[in-house]
Amino acid sequence: MDKYYLTSRGSFEQFLVSRLTESTIYAPFRRLNVLDYERVNEENVKNIALHEPLPATPLKTFFLPIRKNVTLDVNGSLPAIILGVPACDLAALDLLDAVYLDPAFPDDLYRKQREQTILIGTDCHSHLKHCHCTIYNINPFPERNCDLVLSGYQSDVFIRILSDKGQKLLKDMCSRIPVQEATAGDLETVKLKRMAVRDDITRQNQGLPDLKHTSTLLKQSEYWLWKKYASTCVGCGACAAICPTCTCFLLLDRPEFEKVRQLDTCQYPDFQRVAAGEDPLSPLTVRFRNRYLCKYVWRPERYKVSACTGCGRCIDACPGNISKNELLTELNTGEVKISQHA
Amino acid sequence: MPEAKNIYRPLKATLETVIDESPLIKTLVLRPEKEFSFDTGQFIELTLNGYGEAPFTPSSSPFVKDKLEVTIMKAGHVTEKFHQLTPGAVLGIRGPYGRGYPVYNMYDKEVVIVGGGCGLAPIRSLLYHLIEWKDRIKRVVLCYGSKTPADCIYKPLFRELNSIPKFEAHRAVNVADETWDETEGVVTVLLDKVNINVPDSVAVVCGPPVMMKFATQKLLSMGFPEDRIYLSMEKNMSCGFGKCGHCMMGEFFVCKDGPVFSYDEIRHLPDIWR
Repeated sequence: MDKYYLTSRGSFEQFLVSRLTESTIYAPFRRLNVLDYERVNEENVKNIALHEPLPATPLKTFFLPIRKNVTLDVNGSLPAIILGVPACDLAALDLLDAVYLDPAFPDDLYRKQREQTILIGTDCHSHLKHCHCTIYNINPFPERNCDLVLSGYQSDVFIRILSDKGQKLLKDMCSRIPVQEATAGDLETVKLKRMAVRDDITRQNQGLPDLKHTSTLLKQSEYWLWKKYASTCVGCGACAAICPTCTCFLLLDRPEFEKVRQLDTCQYPDFQRVAAGEDPLSPLTVRFRNRYLCKYVWRPERYKVSACTGCGRCIDACPGNISKNELLTELNTGEVKISQHA
Repeated sequence: MPEAKNIYRPLKATLETVIDESPLIKTLVLRPEKEFSFDTGQFIELTLNGYGEAPFTPSSSPFVKDKLEVTIMKAGHVTEKFHQLTPGAVLGIRGPYGRGYPVYNMYDKEVVIVGGGCGLAPIRSLLYHLIEWKDRIKRVVLCYGSKTPADCIYKPLFRELNSIPKFEAHRAVNVADETWDETEGVVTVLLDKVNINVPDSVAVVCGPPVMMKFATQKLLSMGFPEDRIYLSMEKNMSCGFGKCGHCMMGEFFVCKDGPVFSYDEIRHLPDIWR
């Protein structure tokens, strides 16, 4: 196993408080049934919910807010630390970076925000009903796209460095709180927990095809399948808004030739309609199918990265009770699990 | 290190002249605040300050850098506003974007161009390029169709083309009137009238989707190989650089990978003519 460092939860909280003058820190907090990112302060630091799946807001929203004036320079806010990011959301950065840091047309605002933000990923110590990251080769513990990884057990905080920014932050941490190197024995519990969660997620998704097979199946899919599953779709776009990799947008015009980038989705009517009236994504069934083909066929072919990280948020968010996993399982096995679609 | 360019911010351009081409189509002659280069067939995003933006392929010569002509059909609320502009107005230009016409594949070939309606705008830019290149090509045959004689745009262009050696221009209208002494019928009828040496030719098609569909089918039936039919796929290009998703067509972003595609590149996709 790679080198890990060890500190206590109390010391780590102390470190976060001491960094508040230099950084804006976000971490997940649980309020009633909702887990979501909030700003950390001296009072709430003890309530940070590390290792719980899954913040309601995907990580993308920090870098691609729902609405932003993209012709103005970034304001001088404090560099951010985002703590408690799950592996599925970090994996989504593969696609976000490919789109927004495209060398031919780099989005400078996105680049600056990515550079100024320190990402601290955390292991998931449990999983939700619709979590299926492992089916897409993503482990429920971060392995890339962040600066530090936190793994914990009881009052221990284990820290792994994944980047130069992470190295720098750990050095700063060592100057403020006691940090020691973790031993192989210390890490045994971490390792066992990781494997247990990983295996549980794989077990609960028996029948769900892997990425490559999903792509093959979707290319062969027939219209009746889309008609059936789109029958309860209301075109609200919640699946795309909550998706860690959906980043399509609308450019709005403002005076002084300013442009505002606003999150948009192919699930909305008229997304591709041209002035003369033609709309390649009409009717709704075609729009509904488009999102699946985009995620599992077209984006992976183009960018060589996955456009679904198995977070399951789209299933939780759907007011029409449409389960992507049930659709893909039916496509794979022919078995229908849900009564409403039977 | 210089500050990176903001990809969303347009260049300003002043409207110099407005030319009425037909009851629904006008050409705006713009002077950008600095020299603006594009390849024929590439497109720009034209911004009406604070109101909206729309994609257009310049209809002017790619060899002219200080002026830019954009031909606009009144089809929606943004294009209607463009039609109301008067000289002196300041507009925004982003681009040029995408992949234009593969002029190098036209070298030493006969070029058959099929255009419909306002689809003649990008083609006019290509024609200006080919006129500059007339020593490098064998022949250019333009077949253009419009609904009625009044809808025919660029009327002086046809006289000009027919006076240039190696160039010929034919027109058809769906519904003729007493003034019309050329072909009556859909544009593909013209392809039966011209004598084309298919093995030595490339074809270019630009126009409304339904016209492109039938023109492509006609060219295929004439023996044109799929990789020598070039199509201008005009979709809802918005950002211009493959990020916003509005022009996604299968794995392609029309704004970045097109707007010009050969038929063999896109024929596998569903719904390309919509």
